[in-house]
Amino acid sequence: MAAAGSVRAALQVAEVLEAVVSCCLGPEGRQVLCTKPTGEVLLSRDGGRLLKALHLEHPIARMMVACVSSHLRKTGDGAKTFIIFLCHLLRELHAITDKEKDSFFSENIQTHERHWKKCCQWKFISQALLTFQTQILDYVMDHYLSRHFLSIFSSSTKERPLCRSSLEMLLGAYFCGRVGRNNHNFVSQLMCDYFFKCTACESGFEEVLELVDDCFVELKVGVTGLPVSDSRIIAGLVLPRDFSVYCPADGDIRIVIVIETIQPLFSTFGSEFILNSEAQFQTSQFWIAERTKAIMKYLQKQNVKLLLSTVKQPDLVIYCAGLNGISVVECLSSEELSLIQRVTGLTPFVLPQASSQYELSNTAMVKFCKPFILRSKRYVHLGLISTCSFTPHCIVLCGPVQGLVDQHEDALHGAFKMLRQLFKDLDLNYVTQASDQNCTSSPLIYKNSRESNDLPEIVNGSIQRPYQYTVVKNKDELAKTQAYLKAYSNLVVPSVELETNILCSTPTVTLTDTYHTDATLRCFSPDKARIMDDHEPFIESNSANSTTENTRREISYENLQVTKNARKGSILPVRYKSLEMCTSQSYCFSSVPAGCVLPVGGNFEILLHYYLLSYAKKCQQSEETMVSMIIANALLGVPKVLYKSKKGNYSFPQICIRALQSLQTNQPMISNQKGLESVAGKYQLLTSVLQCLRNILTIDLVINIKRQPQEIYDQDSEEEL
Amino acid sequence: MSRLEAKKPSFCRSEPLTSERVKATLSVLKGIVTSCYGPAGRLKQLHNGLGGSVCTTSQSAALLANLPVTHPILKILTTSVQNHVSCFSDGGLFTAILCCNLVENVQRIGLTPTTVIKLNKQLLSLCTSYLKSEACGCRIPVNFSSTHILLCLVRSILTSKPACMLTTKEIDHISTLILRAFLLIIPENAQDHIILGKSIIVPLKHQRVIDSTVLPGILIEISEVQLMKILPIKKSDSFKVALFCVSLSGDLSDTGEGNVVVSYGVSLENAVLDQLLNLGRQLVSDHVDLVLCQKVIHPSLKQFLRTHHVIAVDRVGVAVMEPLSKVTGTRPIGSLDSISPSSYGSVKDLCTAKFGFKHFFHLIPNEATVCSLLLCNRNDTAWDELKLTCQTALHALQLTIKEPCVLLGGGCTETHLAAYIRHKTSSEPEGILRDDGCTQTELQLIAEAFCSALESLAGSLEHDGGEILTDGKYGHFWSVQADSPSVVNWPDLLSRCGCGLYSSQEELSWSFLRSARLPFVPQTCLPCEATDSASNLTLDCFTAKLSGLQVAVETANLILDLSYVIEDKN
Repeated sequence: MAAAGSVRAALQVAEVLEAVVSCCLGPEGRQVLCTKPTGEVLLSRDGGRLLKALHLEHPIARMMVACVSSHLRKTGDGAKTFIIFLCHLLRELHAITDKEKDSFFSENIQTHERHWKKCCQWKFISQALLTFQTQILDYVMDHYLSRHFLSIFSSSTKERPLCRSSLEMLLGAYFCGRVGRNNHNFVSQLMCDYFFKCTACESGFEEVLELVDDCFVELKVGVTGLPVSDSRIIAGLVLPRDFSVYCPADGDIRIVIVIETIQPLFSTFGSEFILNSEAQFQTSQFWIAERTKAIMKYLQKQNVKLLLSTVKQPDLVIYCAGLNGISVVECLSSEELSLIQRVTGLTPFVLPQASSQYELSNTAMVKFCKPFILRSKRYVHLGLISTCSFTPHCIVLCGPVQGLVDQHEDALHGAFKMLRQLFKDLDLNYVTQASDQNCTSSPLIYKNSRESNDLPEIVNGSIQRPYQYTVVKNKDELAKTQAYLKAYSNLVVPSVELETNILCSTPTVTLTDTYHTDATLRCFSPDKARIMDDHEPFIESNSANSTTENTRREISYENLQVTKNARKGSILPVRYKSLEMCTSQSYCFSSVPAGCVLPVGGNFEILLHYYLLSYAKKCQQSEETMVSMIIANALLGVPKVLYKSKKGNYSFPQICIRALQSLQTNQPMISNQKGLESVAGKYQLLTSVLQCLRNILTIDLVINIKRQPQEIYDQDSEEEL
Repeated sequence: MSRLEAKKPSFCRSEPLTSERVKATLSVLKGIVTSCYGPAGRLKQLHNGLGGSVCTTSQSAALLANLPVTHPILKILTTSVQNHVSCFSDGGLFTAILCCNLVENVQRIGLTPTTVIKLNKQLLSLCTSYLKSEACGCRIPVNFSSTHILLCLVRSILTSKPACMLTTKEIDHISTLILRAFLLIIPENAQDHIILGKSIIVPLKHQRVIDSTVLPGILIEISEVQLMKILPIKKSDSFKVALFCVSLSGDLSDTGEGNVVVSYGVSLENAVLDQLLNLGRQLVSDHVDLVLCQKVIHPSLKQFLRTHHVIAVDRVGVAVMEPLSKVTGTRPIGSLDSISPSSYGSVKDLCTAKFGFKHFFHLIPNEATVCSLLLCNRNDTAWDELKLTCQTALHALQLTIKEPCVLLGGGCTETHLAAYIRHKTSSEPEGILRDDGCTQTELQLIAEAFCSALESLAGSLEHDGGEILTDGKYGHFWSVQADSPSVVNWPDLLSRCGCGLYSSQEELSWSFLRSARLPFVPQTCLPCEATDSASNLTLDCFTAKLSGLQVAVETANLILDLSYVIEDKN
């Protein structure tokens, strides 16, 4: 059986999925109850989990789910947005092809032929999508969107100190979409506390995140039957088992890890033990017992107070340990072992072969080890002393039912994944085109010309060409400005303000060769530099020159925005990307720097929508325009769902219009949302969706087979000669 | 070849709460739990048509564990109640009824789930902060210098479980036993944190309840044959005890992954037996009087020990190992050849005893926090119920030590709390609403739903068609018998309120619970003398009830928040 793959079918599938996931999206989203075949119930708002739980049969749906899960593996976030965005993209495509249908397929051809033809058209569109993704999207991200990025770090120095309030906002927004409405504040607060408690020093948080993400299952303890508000953070590590033998000890406690039984066995694997007499048996038993005792005695002499074992130890070992005052914890899982090893750097104790010589170098210290009782179940509580930047802490997650505990656990784990992604630089494909090869020696000149390259792109595209012409022409002018700059460089002006000065001054030089340099100079006067709001003189002087009026207004607004943001800097530091990045990365691939965030509530989507539309306007090629338009329109789908239930001033059209207006007039966008979200995550989501869409478009036929598709194994390339 | 799984697609339903079927099943469950509630609650008989034992109960732990629940929403409800019960033992029915009431009441209002959940949470925090505060008018601090309050607490728990089939006299007897058992497990010289001992419940079915008793130390059940073999115990003021956790049967333990080849003519059994007898000799020379073994003792070793006047008891099982080592002060021995003298322990006295048809070996400790509660009841199902009740009571006492206060029972806490919330929401709604974006009308609606859920919970204590009143001063719960004359002088009909704290002597302006009342300020801060004077109070465990309240509201919120149910049909 074969079915034609088409956008129409894909759209139908996507719409059904959208109906399910959109009810869980955003802060207003609700819970979904899933039952497992075993009868357990699970509460979830996690898109990925819901899609999996549906066990979809439809081939296109299955492909979508596969795409979503591969995206989730990478980023741990955005499954619901994925489906909604994909659905809107398909809707846009469908609408376009409906319109074009008459013109394309007016002649009466056979249905099959029509199908193939259609497929060719889809193939064409998918090609256009690919070019969009690799060229336009990254370009737009780097050039336009990056101006709006905020940073999670409180300053952009090398150490990158984390700003607690912005992390709280980020996590708050994340948990809004993940856990029940009555718990998200509590859970995000818990996570924030946990993160800062685990991070010993300011700089090592990447390491901490990596470790927590890898070993999260071992770092949490789930307890059912208690209210959620009883969840808490506990210093140290909690192992879900009881001591085999517990001897109270004080002070610093030395621990060893063993991965085999301490008591020697009669025979090891692959060997044979031949018993010739009863006396031999008795002496060997005696030897075994004596040796076990000797090892335990030795451990005691070395002041070892706790023995962690991955295997079950015989009774004799437990007994001897008790006699020697050593506590024993048995049957550690390999994951727990690796966590302890990562935290303490401890390697397992290798039992010596010779009976007399022991070398015990592999010990670590713990601050305490004691039984820990949670809900009348006993746990082992270890106060590990960390050798890395991770200070061990555990989260005790409580909830009335297991399903809720699981949900919180998943959400926390996902949050750590998301943070891990956030603190990585995300490389874009787009190469920054630096045209400043000619600029030499002085770094300031270099900077200036970089600025001048950047700014006109903010401006309308129509000015671009004449401007590039002026760049070449005005090299001398630049040098002159440089001289002025040098003259004023001894003035005590805060560096940031100086840089904004440069920002506003250079374009005036480069854009208009007839422009008076003294106008530029006025801009440099120190008091102006401090009071950047006072732009009127600058604009006035500009207005004399009629040809570049537009441009200048744009620029001055830009300045205004930058300074305004700088004032807010204490709360949300604005990344002076255009300033910092240029000096270092002129020839490199551009990237979304680590820690870039935007306010939640569809900010990213609206911004990208605006810039894509404006890009599409100045684009010559028709398919580029079309693809950009489609994507720009589809992007609005996500905020549309988010503001679905809001009314009046907070309804979607109102918000969207306000945002677009403020973008057009270059005023800072005002967001009433408190949360933040990762830019890199959004960008990755966008690329994943486009990839998925390309997959859907390029398939022309779905063939149903009875067997599993055979896996292709590596075949020996050697041929017999 | 990989296993192929034919997965059926799941079944997906939207807005599950609006369907009639769900509403019907919820009300069935509510009917079941409501009818069980309280001392006058009706019993439920759970049985399988194919045979097997029959369970007669009115406790949530037994009821919900056996109740087959299929609908996922009910499953959420019952599992959350079960989890609560496994944490606190008490308050399961309270949680279940409150949760059902809340879901039902809120659905009737028809506000959006967001508002409902927000406001429910606000009301819950209002309740918990009030209950935890000093000013709370339904909380009694526990004075550990007298047993009065504790005894009332235990008696209230026993009374509220009618399936135990106890008479008033038997209730008195059992509650004293439980309290004594509890006092026995508290260590005498307590340091900064107390480690409670353990009370072991020993079953003795088909006996009179009055024959139940509490003994310090441990009872080990032995058969009559074993009893014959045990020699008369000589008089002494201390007995040396050795406790083995390793098997003494002469089996060869783990020999490793390789092969062990035994030459012809070599008898390992003899070699091992030699070893065991050596061990026996060592025990005898160390003057051990009693050998206990978790597993099996080899008959030859047993014989050897008996000839040397050492009592040997084997197969005691892993469950009593910890209490045994606590009682005797021994370290469980895991070695066969050399025993460190420090691992021996001692007991004060040893004796054999016969209770009912069973023979026991009784270890009386010098000073330990382990006791045995011999529990008798007439038949199996009543005994099971009584055992659960005793465990609940013991647990409630433990929780009371941690949080030394109790709540008024008999419905008074619920009505008082409802009166408090009504008063708070009408007098200072701004403080509750803060910046949530909810209106005062919404708050009034939800508060009314919340209060009526609490009040109908209290009302479900009455099963015999009586009327329920509440007073306008304390906000307590008063019940009137059915078919009482319509126009009456209330004080003549009423005697005491639900918890027994107040009598109808003073004029309290009673009104029907169902009728509309004006909000009033319920009197806070219980006077101390009131609690001392009242002889027979009905009380509830504070921690269990508080947590039950929280769990009920959280679960109700969870259920109200559901927008889809995806059922995996595989």
